[in-house]
Amino acid sequence: MTTPTHSYPGPAGGPGGGDPAGGPGGADPGAPDLLGPGQPRDMDEPPKGGSFLGYLLRKLGGALTSMILVVVLGFFAFRMLPGDPVLKIAKERPMSPAQIAELRSQYGLDKPVIVQFWDYLVGIFTGDLGESYVYRKPVSALIVDYLGPTLLLTATAAVIAIGLGLWLGQLSAWRRNSLFDKVASSTSLVFWSVPTFWLGLILLMIFGGTLQWLPTGGMITPGLDPWSFAGIIDVIKHLILPVITMVAVVYAQFLMVMRASLIEEMSEDYLTTARAKGLTEDEVRKKHAVPNALLPTVTVVFMHIGGLIAGAVTVEAVFSWPGLGKLTFEAISGPDLPLLQGTFVVFSAIIIVMNLAADIVYRFLDPRVRRA
Amino acid sequence: MFVRHKLRRRLGKYLAGVAAMALVTGVATAPAQAETTEAADDSKVLRIATDGFIDSFNPFTSFYLLPTNSFRYMYENLVNNSAEDAQVTEGLATEWDTDSAGKVWTYKMRPDMKWSDDEPLTSKDVAWTYNQMMEKDELSVANGGLVENFDKVETPDDQTVVITLKKPQSNNPGQEIPVVPEHVWSKIDKPGVFKNDKKSVGSGPFQLESYEANKSVTLKANPNFWRGAPKIDEIQYRYYTNSDAQVQAIRSGEVDFITGLTPEQFKAIEGADNVETNVGNGRRFQGISINPGVADAKNNEFGTGNKALKDKKVRQAIRAGIDVDTLRKQVMQDYAQPATSFIPSVYEKWALPADNPVVSGFDVDKAKKLLDEAGWKEGSDGIREKDGKKLELRFLTDSDATVEQNTAKFLEPWMKDIGIKLKNEASDVDTVSERTTKGDYDMYYSGWSINPDPDYQLGINTCDSRPDADGNGGTSQDGYCNKEFDKLYKAQHTELDEKKRVDLVHQALAQHYEDTPSVTLWYPNQLEAYRSDRFTGFTKQPTDGGIIANQVGYWGYSSVEPAKADDASGQGGGMGAGGWIGIAVAAIVVIGGGGFLLNRRKKSEDRE
Repeated sequence: MTTPTHSYPGPAGGPGGGDPAGGPGGADPGAPDLLGPGQPRDMDEPPKGGSFLGYLLRKLGGALTSMILVVVLGFFAFRMLPGDPVLKIAKERPMSPAQIAELRSQYGLDKPVIVQFWDYLVGIFTGDLGESYVYRKPVSALIVDYLGPTLLLTATAAVIAIGLGLWLGQLSAWRRNSLFDKVASSTSLVFWSVPTFWLGLILLMIFGGTLQWLPTGGMITPGLDPWSFAGIIDVIKHLILPVITMVAVVYAQFLMVMRASLIEEMSEDYLTTARAKGLTEDEVRKKHAVPNALLPTVTVVFMHIGGLIAGAVTVEAVFSWPGLGKLTFEAISGPDLPLLQGTFVVFSAIIIVMNLAADIVYRFLDPRVRRA
Repeated sequence: MFVRHKLRRRLGKYLAGVAAMALVTGVATAPAQAETTEAADDSKVLRIATDGFIDSFNPFTSFYLLPTNSFRYMYENLVNNSAEDAQVTEGLATEWDTDSAGKVWTYKMRPDMKWSDDEPLTSKDVAWTYNQMMEKDELSVANGGLVENFDKVETPDDQTVVITLKKPQSNNPGQEIPVVPEHVWSKIDKPGVFKNDKKSVGSGPFQLESYEANKSVTLKANPNFWRGAPKIDEIQYRYYTNSDAQVQAIRSGEVDFITGLTPEQFKAIEGADNVETNVGNGRRFQGISINPGVADAKNNEFGTGNKALKDKKVRQAIRAGIDVDTLRKQVMQDYAQPATSFIPSVYEKWALPADNPVVSGFDVDKAKKLLDEAGWKEGSDGIREKDGKKLELRFLTDSDATVEQNTAKFLEPWMKDIGIKLKNEASDVDTVSERTTKGDYDMYYSGWSINPDPDYQLGINTCDSRPDADGNGGTSQDGYCNKEFDKLYKAQHTELDEKKRVDLVHQALAQHYEDTPSVTLWYPNQLEAYRSDRFTGFTKQPTDGGIIANQVGYWGYSSVEPAKADDASGQGGGMGAGGWIGIAVAAIVVIGGGGFLLNRRKKSEDRE
């Protein structure tokens, strides 16, 4: 069992090393089928190596297709939305037709849609996502600016949610149908079903408004240097409520996945062997069952990380967290078309990349998929 | 093995404990520190919650509410609008005069004024600002409409500005245009894209100190302000995306002023400690726009409006069928002023008086009679018919706006009473705006913010404000067109005798009322709250029962002063170590602790 597992990364490293060559080859649809079986370097491994490369290319191709769809959809979906950004600005505000026309030309909305689409495509490939109507800044610069706070929030929440979910999940599985299992699983599912917005507001009302223990919004008290000691503590204070909200709402999925996959492992014979060796229940669980049950869980975790970032939209809106989610939320009511397109493409790209990573990691981690 | 296992678990517990302690103590000591750094000048910093968009602080290009509100505090205009009744009062100019035709306006400026950087402020700055807007398209984005009628601007001396107009106008042309310092702005390469987002130089009571997108905006008091330096040091806008969060923030004392509350939020906060509330009579109106048969400038009709509404009597019947007073009390919970026409009652002089003979009330019999006269006869199901067609109307509303949805709920049975079938078409606000632009509506819920001079709003009710044949350039309020109204508009536009002008404006409003292209429901109150333990002395506009935020002018915050020190001692915001330990305990119990305890109990079972 161990030997193939260890030897595998070697040959896999081979095609992996050849990957840069295979990568560009992937852009040419004819190449991949020939390349895999055409270069059987290792007599032992050809089907595996070939199938891995094929697998990789297939996944890459899928990701690429999704990405193209996202790019096209990003442009047309938001343009199909009702509402004219310029008219929206002109409403409730004294503006002459000349001013409205000037604004339209500044936004590039006076050009034909097909020209706008071409500009957008060229822009995407040159890394230029256009200029936000509201902020009057390049969208790519805005996204970079707001990515930091979002990553801080989501990474903190993700680490806690994953840790908590996996830990409670494996305990629940091990003591399936016990009181602990029932309490832990049902509590997590209750939080999972609670609307994020509502939970956030309730926490805000209790801990922010009434008890006044924690700040009611933002990331840092204006005027504090974020890198000073007081500043860091201030950021932590601002982090507590949004992180609790995010964790409470998502940790159930990790708990459930971990619980299910561990329960599956529990009927395996090797656990009986382990017990026969005289290991304690805790040792059987920690050293044998959990590591094996972790494999499928890890891929699920990867797939959810992308979703977590997108899920920050609501939490950021409730807690006025100056991140990407808030940026998107406000862009919708703009409607700030370039900013919406930009965040949509970036969010989608993150999810696509994460799913791709999950596919690849899954293949490396799980021997069953590898052999299949 | 067992011992090692136990030891490991103990070690784990120990480490977790240390981490928890570190968190608790670290967090517990922090507020004390944060407070000392802030407390130094905190009592003179007015903190205002906002969620406003900011593109820049460039007064030539920005049109969002927060920047334009800030410009009123940053840049004095040639003439301002008073706190008492929002009518024209002295600004940079102390007196002004116009020739008999209203074509040449001459302003005398106050001598020896200074910009916030101590440079002298003269008529040259005024002329330079106006000329930039007249000459450069990219600088006319925000306020270009205000100088469209300017022919030339001259400065015979440092204290005199002469504006020559293309066509006479009675509305003082020196209003609402922020005057910027030439010595700063003439050195900027591309003034059209200049952000102006730190250390602004201006003439108003506060100057922009710094701006951090979606975090805060800081304005600093200007000691050179000609009315005298404000009594507070800074205004700090803090970002709260969510209005419920703003309410919590004023309860906890993290901000000192909030505005734009809903009646529910307002009632929830009324009893709060150290919070004072203000029901401000606002300068907005809300109403129901009725499609009178929208058409373009060449009278070609467009859209899908019900033909029945082209008949004035049907529109009048709709007005008579609405019990506005009940609606105002139920839907607005009385947080709105009774309305006549589209000029709100805070502009007492211009608003159509309630005792004007044209103003009529809720009258079901009259509504039925009007519909009878229009030829709509009651059918078997109570819905009126004419030529085999039933009188069915669509009412377009914003599905997110509670007020609009509730209005629709009241309107449906009321309209049924007079024989009109009303269908509420709730949609998102962007769809509503698009459909109304295309004329794809019968009735919709509309609202406008009105400036002190009625000229602009009257102007967008003239035939000329309708879109051109391509559907572009339309700014019309309701798609209304009546040559009589247009005549009255033109007459008041150039009437220099104020008494006569007021009369003309009333006539125009009465004509509009009579024609009923819209039913003005009410003038909503602006609901506001501030921390009375920290600040006093907010000035309202109008001073009697008016608003603090969103004024036309810089009165609201300029007169604010810190409350007495003994009042301020009880303020919240920080918390002791006890509270922090409480939080840590609560968090542990809620998320993991309960499970942990249960887990412990079960573990002993495992060991058997």
